[in-house]
Amino acid sequence: MSDPAGVETATRPPIHRRRFIVGATCAAIAAVATGVVLSRRDHVASRDGSTVLGMVLPDLAEHEQALAQWRGKVLVVNFWATWCAPCREEMPHFVAVQTRDAAKGVQFVGIAVDQPDKVREFANEVGVNYPVLIGGFGAIELSRTLGNELSALPFTIVVDRSGSVAHTQLGPLKAAQLDKLLQRLLQAA
Amino acid sequence: MLGAAFAAGLPGTPPKLLPPEQAFRFSARALDPATLEARFDVADGYYLYRDKLRFTTEPVGARAVDLPPGKPKHDEFFGDVETYRGVVLIRVPLHNAAAGQTVTLHADSQGCADAGVCYPPNPQQLKIAVPAAGAAPGAYVEAGKKGWFK
Repeated sequence: MSDPAGVETATRPPIHRRRFIVGATCAAIAAVATGVVLSRRDHVASRDGSTVLGMVLPDLAEHEQALAQWRGKVLVVNFWATWCAPCREEMPHFVAVQTRDAAKGVQFVGIAVDQPDKVREFANEVGVNYPVLIGGFGAIELSRTLGNELSALPFTIVVDRSGSVAHTQLGPLKAAQLDKLLQRLLQAA
Repeated sequence: MLGAAFAAGLPGTPPKLLPPEQAFRFSARALDPATLEARFDVADGYYLYRDKLRFTTEPVGARAVDLPPGKPKHDEFFGDVETYRGVVLIRVPLHNAAAGQTVTLHADSQGCADAGVCYPPNPQQLKIAVPAAGAAPGAYVEAGKKGWFK
């Protein structure tokens, strides 16, 4: 637009417009400040489970599986690998709890930071009775975005029925600790 | 209290866990025109698996690397394995390296913390200048922080 009046208005607004602009600026600053506070709070709590539930990875039969299919369950997502002894150590308990609590709405999902053949062999050996998805070594980066800053294993995220992250754990989940957590989340549902 | 952190849903990070590049500091130097010395400084409470260590060099090839004996560890899953703690020095013989040449040393390693976590296999590389015959060993070159799987 080449309207000189328009330019004049824009560069030197009349008093009432200036007041509006000042007000709008204050509101914008307030909004930005609030946004900062909100985003920081979100970051600290990191309870948003949408990243976890948004993952899609192939299973042992090479079929893509979306974690969103288990939304509404108490979902235990365990990053593990065959080369990780503490990971292997805690998995038999996961198998037992999957059997015990499946009907109550608990669903375990393993994400293997590993090669498919090794994963298959170990899953058969332990009799893993929940879906194991192949994340490959790229799954470590994935776990980093979910809070695994040290890129170490095992790393486990528990998502409640409402889709919020209820617990994040680097290192083994002790049997008693897991049982107590699941009991609380199942009662809350 | 573990219970309090648990109830609050805070990340259950065991105390004092180090990032891998600090837990397993990797460096190397040339001892003479035919030998590199790779070195891992393993932090207290951490260990490397002996059978996961691999070294290769280019453009000149490494001869067979004799890994020093590790500390025997019986692992429920992996059977009898050997681990390294503290300072680990490994001699990597070079095949036909010329003085003044720059050799790239590739190392694969994998280790864990006693706290119950393991770090992924970590391929790293360092560039080392080959010294002239009779020269003093070169200075250690240290690997910096880097991403995994590069």
